Amino acid sequence: MASNGPKEKFIRFENVTKQFQEGERQRIVLSQLSASIDAGEFVAMVGRSGSGKSTLLNLLAGLDQPTAGEIWIGDTRVSALNDRDRTLFRRDHIGFVFQFFILIPTLTVRENVLLTAELSGWSARDARAQAQRLLDAVGLLDRANVFPDKLSGGEQQRVAMARALCADPPVILADEPTGNLDADTGAQVLDLLTRLARERGKTLLLVTHSPDVAALADRTLRLDHGKLVPPSSPEFPQRNLEELRGTQGNLRLR
Amino acid sequence: MTATLFKTVLRDQLRRPWLTLLMVLSVALGVAVVVSVDLANQSATRAFKLSTDAVVGKATHQILGGSRGIDEGVYRDLRVKRGNRFTAPIVEGYGSAKELGNQTMHVLGVDLFAEPPFRTYLTANTQVSLDAFAAFLTQPNTVLLSADTAARFGLKVGDQITLVTGTQERPVTLVGLLRSPNDISSRALEGLLLTDIATAQELFGMVGKLSRIDLIATPAEAQQIAATLPGNLRLAPASEQADTVTQLTAAFQLNLTAFSLLALAVGMFLIYNTTLFSVMQRRRVLGILRCIGVTGREIFAMILLEAALAGALGGAIGLGLGILLGRLTVGLVTQTINDLYFSVTVRGVDVDTLSLVKGMLLGIGAAASAAALPAYEAARVPAITVLQRSDLETRVRRWLPAATLGGIGAIVVGAALLGLVETSVAVSFAGIFIALLGVTMGVPALTVAFMRFATATLGRVGLVGRMAARTVTQALSRTSVAIAALMVAVSVVIGVTVMIASLRATVENWLSQTLVADVYITLPLQDPIAAAAMDPALAEKVRAVTGVSSVDLVHYSTAHSQEFGDVRLTAVTSVRNRLLKASNVNDAAARLQNGAVLVSEPFANRHRVQPGDRITLATDRGAQAFPVVGIYYDYSSDQGLVLMSLDTYRRYWDDQSISAIAAYTAPGANQNQIEDAIRVALGGACGGPSRPSATLSHPYPSERNERGSSRFAMSVGLPSAQVRNPGSEPGSGPGAGGDCAPVVVQSNKALRDSALVIFDRTFAITLALRLIAVVVAFIGVLGALMALQLERTRELGTLRATGMTLPQLWRLTLLESGLMGATAGLLSIPTGVLLSAVLIYVINLRSFGWTIFFEPAPEVYAQALAVSILAALLAAVYPMLRLGRLQVTDALREE
Repeated sequence: MASNGPKEKFIRFENVTKQFQEGERQRIVLSQLSASIDAGEFVAMVGRSGSGKSTLLNLLAGLDQPTAGEIWIGDTRVSALNDRDRTLFRRDHIGFVFQFFILIPTLTVRENVLLTAELSGWSARDARAQAQRLLDAVGLLDRANVFPDKLSGGEQQRVAMARALCADPPVILADEPTGNLDADTGAQVLDLLTRLARERGKTLLLVTHSPDVAALADRTLRLDHGKLVPPSSPEFPQRNLEELRGTQGNLRLR
Repeated sequence: MTATLFKTVLRDQLRRPWLTLLMVLSVALGVAVVVSVDLANQSATRAFKLSTDAVVGKATHQILGGSRGIDEGVYRDLRVKRGNRFTAPIVEGYGSAKELGNQTMHVLGVDLFAEPPFRTYLTANTQVSLDAFAAFLTQPNTVLLSADTAARFGLKVGDQITLVTGTQERPVTLVGLLRSPNDISSRALEGLLLTDIATAQELFGMVGKLSRIDLIATPAEAQQIAATLPGNLRLAPASEQADTVTQLTAAFQLNLTAFSLLALAVGMFLIYNTTLFSVMQRRRVLGILRCIGVTGREIFAMILLEAALAGALGGAIGLGLGILLGRLTVGLVTQTINDLYFSVTVRGVDVDTLSLVKGMLLGIGAAASAAALPAYEAARVPAITVLQRSDLETRVRRWLPAATLGGIGAIVVGAALLGLVETSVAVSFAGIFIALLGVTMGVPALTVAFMRFATATLGRVGLVGRMAARTVTQALSRTSVAIAALMVAVSVVIGVTVMIASLRATVENWLSQTLVADVYITLPLQDPIAAAAMDPALAEKVRAVTGVSSVDLVHYSTAHSQEFGDVRLTAVTSVRNRLLKASNVNDAAARLQNGAVLVSEPFANRHRVQPGDRITLATDRGAQAFPVVGIYYDYSSDQGLVLMSLDTYRRYWDDQSISAIAAYTAPGANQNQIEDAIRVALGGACGGPSRPSATLSHPYPSERNERGSSRFAMSVGLPSAQVRNPGSEPGSGPGAGGDCAPVVVQSNKALRDSALVIFDRTFAITLALRLIAVVVAFIGVLGALMALQLERTRELGTLRATGMTLPQLWRLTLLESGLMGATAGLLSIPTGVLLSAVLIYVINLRSFGWTIFFEPAPEVYAQALAVSILAALLAAVYPMLRLGRLQVTDALREE
């Protein structure tokens, strides 16, 4: 693994370009993106469908490789790793929350959660204890032994969050985690996710279509046609975060 | 792999019980067939080895005699004059008795006093009572039998048994039972009838003669003894006999094993399909696992482990089924071995641990290797694309040209193996497997081509027709595998059926051309050891019957050749009915009279003998070289025969006897009357002085087997196969009885029919294997269809929601399935024809050495096509029933 990258910014991508071959022609999905995210920062990524949000998330997670440019997470140049090393890196450093809260149907709720810790080499006892704590935190301890098909959508997404956090990765990537939930459930899930991430000092990058959700973040990155829209641009959504916050710091979504 | 990942493997199997069951079943069936054939082969071989070991005992060498056996004086000389104490005289032959269910028994005549160093039947271990010993020593015509055999036939000490040997029918008394302390030695005694040497000499007409002399000697001593033996005797290592027998059945057993492996190979297609489907179904879950840090290797291991677990379970079930099936197979295999090679009594299936371990490993290995490609597929896909559903199908289509080219390459390699390596049957089978693999690799491309045609044709019928053809193409990764599995199974059925039909037609044709006499007179029991013979005077009696125009005489014997081992010799008075390969029969007949010989095609192929070569045989006049003047077609022995004129035989061997008579009737004569007249003329006739053959390892016995039917021993146009047809019952003719076993008189038709009965019985086992291959393939198509439906649940729900009726969906399913079946059927015809050609011109030629004339069988091709379509349509029934239960709302929610 490369180990002489920048220290001050935890996630950094420089001139990242991603192209896909579509028949005879190349389609540029991301073009020359450069940005950085501090450790512990909560960043929302917004943009229209097809703007390249999920592609960027996949690149940061090491699920895919950029056509050009570099991606650093901590001291590791993720873009230089091969598939296996990226997987091993992801195992220890990235927690993933998907829109469709896909859990492993053949594992119980507890097993779904502790799987990531087990993969990271935690002892069975430690993994179990960690899963126990997180299930308690997401309010599902009493459902620990049931299989995912017995859970509601919101419950499943809470399990997915616990799973993302179980191996204690420094980075949480969430791809529209509330996109498939009703507004109330979505708000609860989001509240939980941001709280857990902040409590544990995680760097959270969250893809969303919702400006309201984006408003909760410390910072927003906007993608448009594969390019980052500068914050100074008139197209950049300006919202008063304060007005979205409740009196006790809880979220209120409109 | 972590414990939790392992749990997903186990639970995944439990959550998809139908798929798991399919996988388990396909492994189980494949393993069952392989294990049953292996157990049957092993059981027969072991049973023979046990009895051979029992008979050979601790002997290191054997002295084997010329055509008339060994003079007793040789033994006396060895033991008394030269003081070789470790010598034992043996007179042996085969016999059968009604009291023993007409089972062929190995009759062993021994000298009790010489026996102890050699065999242990009569030691304290076998618990023969002193009374039995005394009776055995002092009374003539007494026998000992294993206690198990006696119990099986309800015999007890003091009972009489009417023993039929080649020329004799003689009552003997059971004076004692041989009890063995353990199962193995007990089985060694199975089928053995022990008698005093003098009784055996009388039974086999060998007074003053011995079949062999057993020796325990160091190599140096053996060399010394060999140097002093008379010219017509030889000293051979005792192991020679068992080795010869192993070689005899090697090709037959290898062929069976190859066919059984084919059933497993078809099962592997099914495992591939099932695994691929399970990968497709869990693509998103696998994607998630990859996303949360499970490596490709771990995914590969997971899927392989799943298959291996199913393989292990299937293997375990297959072992049980195999043992059960083995009980049936051992009967068929033993029957064939008895029909074609040698007499062996197999009491049951020998459950050999090694066979079971092999079966289990094969099951797990087959499952894991069949799953390797889908597992690799799931593992090597980058995590990001695992989440994309149609990726596999896109890539399958991209790989089509490469797969097709690879397939062509495999066919070329297979063909090269078939063509280049000339001798090894195993390599030839490997060639067939590789070539078949090549054809299956071409199946996806051919399926696409067929479906294009089907789309154009069925498109005219309507949307459903177009959809059906397109679905088959769109799900090519699964449909093509199901088509390939069915295609392989059906083409194997075509190949084997056409090969057997061709061989049967060839044999029928050969029989009709060689069995030209009208009435055949043979001995009731052709003895492979003490080859019985009939009095030549009988020929004159037959000739004198009114209506008989002429007779041909035949004599069977065995002679030793330094170069070829024991050679089966047939001496005839006429070669008029012989089918010669590329030589003139009249020329050959003339040259045969001058001392030349013909060799059968298998002999020529096996020993690479050509016309112009010479064969040196040990005769009563010393070693004699006989020029080979031609090769003749013969399908009675895959070991091969040497044919000479009876005059030549009598010139070199002191033996005037004959083995069979073929009588020709005058044109227009009443066949039945002549047959009866011959019976009357020969009333009660039995053989004259019988003559011991050279060695034990007679390659082609033709005695009645335990079921009372006959052997497929129709050497050179005068078969020795006998079926007791009404009126030809030994003992039933006038004057029958006493010490004489009457000869068997039967018509041409009876003989020919009996030969074909044995032929059909020989191939009964392949019929079972063919059926199993089709069943496995059927399950494959069913699996593929179910997989298609499960995967398309949402699509089917949408179709229902948009107004497609249930019958329309049924039609769609039937059409999809029918198209798959038709594609498999159409592809199986050329593949099957090629396979049959390879079986006929390569495998059979190399295994058994005979030419089979290809018999195109259009009805087989039509049947194959019909079977393919029918199997596919039947496989659609269950998915159609599932469609009926499809809840549209649930289907639409399906993710």
